[in-house]
Amino acid sequence: MESVIFRKEINDELDKIREADILIGIPSYNNARTIGHVVKAVQAGIMKYFHDKKAVLVNSDGGSTDGTMDVVRDTKIEDFQSVLLHHRVEPVLKIATPYHGIPGKGSAFRTIFEIAGRLNVKVCAVVDSDLRSISPEWIELLIKPVMEGGFDYVAPLYHRHKFDGTITNSIIYPLTRALYGKRVRQPIGGDFGFSGNLAGFYLTKNVWETDVAKYGIDIWMTTTAIANNFKVCQSFLGAKIHDPKDPGADLSSMLFQVVGATFDLMETYHEVWKVIKGSETVPTFGFRYDVGLEPVSVNLERMIEKFRLGVKELSELWKTFIPSEIMDFIHRAAKLSKEDFYLPDELWVDIIYNFAIASHRKIMNREHLLKSLTPLYIGKIASFVIEAWDSSAIEVEEKIEKLCITFENKNNLIIENWQ
Amino acid sequence: MNDLFNRIMVEPLDRFLNRVIQFLPDILTSVLIFISGIVLGLIFKKLFLRFFNTIKLDRFTERYGFVEMLKKGGIEEPASHIFSRLIGWLTMIIFSIVALRTLNVPAIERILEKFFLYLPNIFIAAVILFIGYLLGNFIGRAALITSVNAGLKVAGLVGKLVKLTIFLLAVTMALEQLAIGRGTIVITFAIIFGGVVLALAIAFGLGGRDIAKEYLEKKLKGEEKKDDISHL
Repeated sequence: MESVIFRKEINDELDKIREADILIGIPSYNNARTIGHVVKAVQAGIMKYFHDKKAVLVNSDGGSTDGTMDVVRDTKIEDFQSVLLHHRVEPVLKIATPYHGIPGKGSAFRTIFEIAGRLNVKVCAVVDSDLRSISPEWIELLIKPVMEGGFDYVAPLYHRHKFDGTITNSIIYPLTRALYGKRVRQPIGGDFGFSGNLAGFYLTKNVWETDVAKYGIDIWMTTTAIANNFKVCQSFLGAKIHDPKDPGADLSSMLFQVVGATFDLMETYHEVWKVIKGSETVPTFGFRYDVGLEPVSVNLERMIEKFRLGVKELSELWKTFIPSEIMDFIHRAAKLSKEDFYLPDELWVDIIYNFAIASHRKIMNREHLLKSLTPLYIGKIASFVIEAWDSSAIEVEEKIEKLCITFENKNNLIIENWQ
Repeated sequence: MNDLFNRIMVEPLDRFLNRVIQFLPDILTSVLIFISGIVLGLIFKKLFLRFFNTIKLDRFTERYGFVEMLKKGGIEEPASHIFSRLIGWLTMIIFSIVALRTLNVPAIERILEKFFLYLPNIFIAAVILFIGYLLGNFIGRAALITSVNAGLKVAGLVGKLVKLTIFLLAVTMALEQLAIGRGTIVITFAIIFGGVVLALAIAFGLGGRDIAKEYLEKKLKGEEKKDDISHL
């Protein structure tokens, strides 16, 4: 497979560094406001927990115009006592380079994997550039399970607001768990640790012209690790607070990329998931504690309106692959008042499995198919918000667990119809 | 008397018989070509049906809305059957034309010549219509889904309008290709299209004045409650 070609100055820098033990990758695009904090936390984490290791920080940038790469280059830790170090240690080596290929997080990661391969690193970690809650401990928790525990892949585990991460909670986590049998709670968390060996394995896959190059990268990394029997664990990192996503980022495009990548992986790993029954926990590291989370505002009326509009206009399209009894349920739900609005878990699981089967059978243009899922997804989220309005974090987690069990119990539907 | 009888009856009959004898091989050849055409048409039909099944044409046409289009027109047959039958008929028609030409009748030749010269236009027009229909369906559906996801209440109308506009454009191009009312068709399309756009502009401008005002006020004053949900 063709590899990324680096600029001359990056090549020279890599030749100079030659080898490293740890690589921390930060993908970015116009994150000058937040990336300084992330770089500081990464540097502090390396100095505090891995000062005897040779570490490199790689910023893979998508052509920022706000000076993101300059911030990365200029950010230093001057006050060593603030990270409880009483002696000066070597500063972390830094590489800031623009990536090539389709604009997106996946392309940024590809550059990071390539550099990891060139430097023959033992452990890698990637963290988002818009994080406000990252601390030096995140680096320890993402690196140590690989370095000392023999794991290949460390997924994050966060405390998030009950209405946050809704694609994860309603589709990606339950579906991935039901298919591959591992309870990785944040499969698209965005902050991961992995071995150099796994980074090399990722590079052997020819996926960089697909949705994996964009938002699909996170689920692709997690699923590839699980389905290929790499040792997987998760680390509790505390709260995940980040800058609001780009308001221009369209929900249906995001859904299309993430769900599309998940369905693509179902094609690749059919032989793996067709024999899986139930699920098991994965080892979890980190000290669990409760955190205060920022409130999330929700416009329920608008969500239900969008669901109703979708039912009115897209039913003709859906009924070509969704059985009539499920369509009847959907129509009945569209007639419910805001107070009574409810989409049961069983119905939601049937919808997702039917979309997966329709995507597999290629019954229509894939982008049209997956983008038409948006109103149904919004309806499910509205139903969840109403249901969980007064629930505590633990109760919400129980509801998600119930949904996961429904996905697991019904996975025969997809196994039997996958011809 | 005998001479007159010969000139009126025998000589014309002789000439006719001579012509028939001269014409007979042409007729026989023509009939032979015609029969070969029928046989080849039937063979081609079967062969292409197998070929279309191998390349899974039915699944492909289903995906791009062709089957839906046929169903709307009351045709329940799969696309592979229709296309293979079309190829069979096309073979038969071509052989029939060749058979007619071997007769060497000037009047038939003139008609055939005109027909042959016009044939590419019919073919191109049919292709334009077909592509226009598929493209209209495809882009119309994309517009519908995008409008629904954007929360536009008139999403259905937007989808239908986009679909209709593309199909109308294809019809105009097809008629232009067939040289039917060349200038008139283009002008009519331009007038209809311009008229629709103008009507919509006026309708939105007058009818939607209050809605636009309310919308802008909400946007500028930030009255609309926004979602903070982070989906990923």
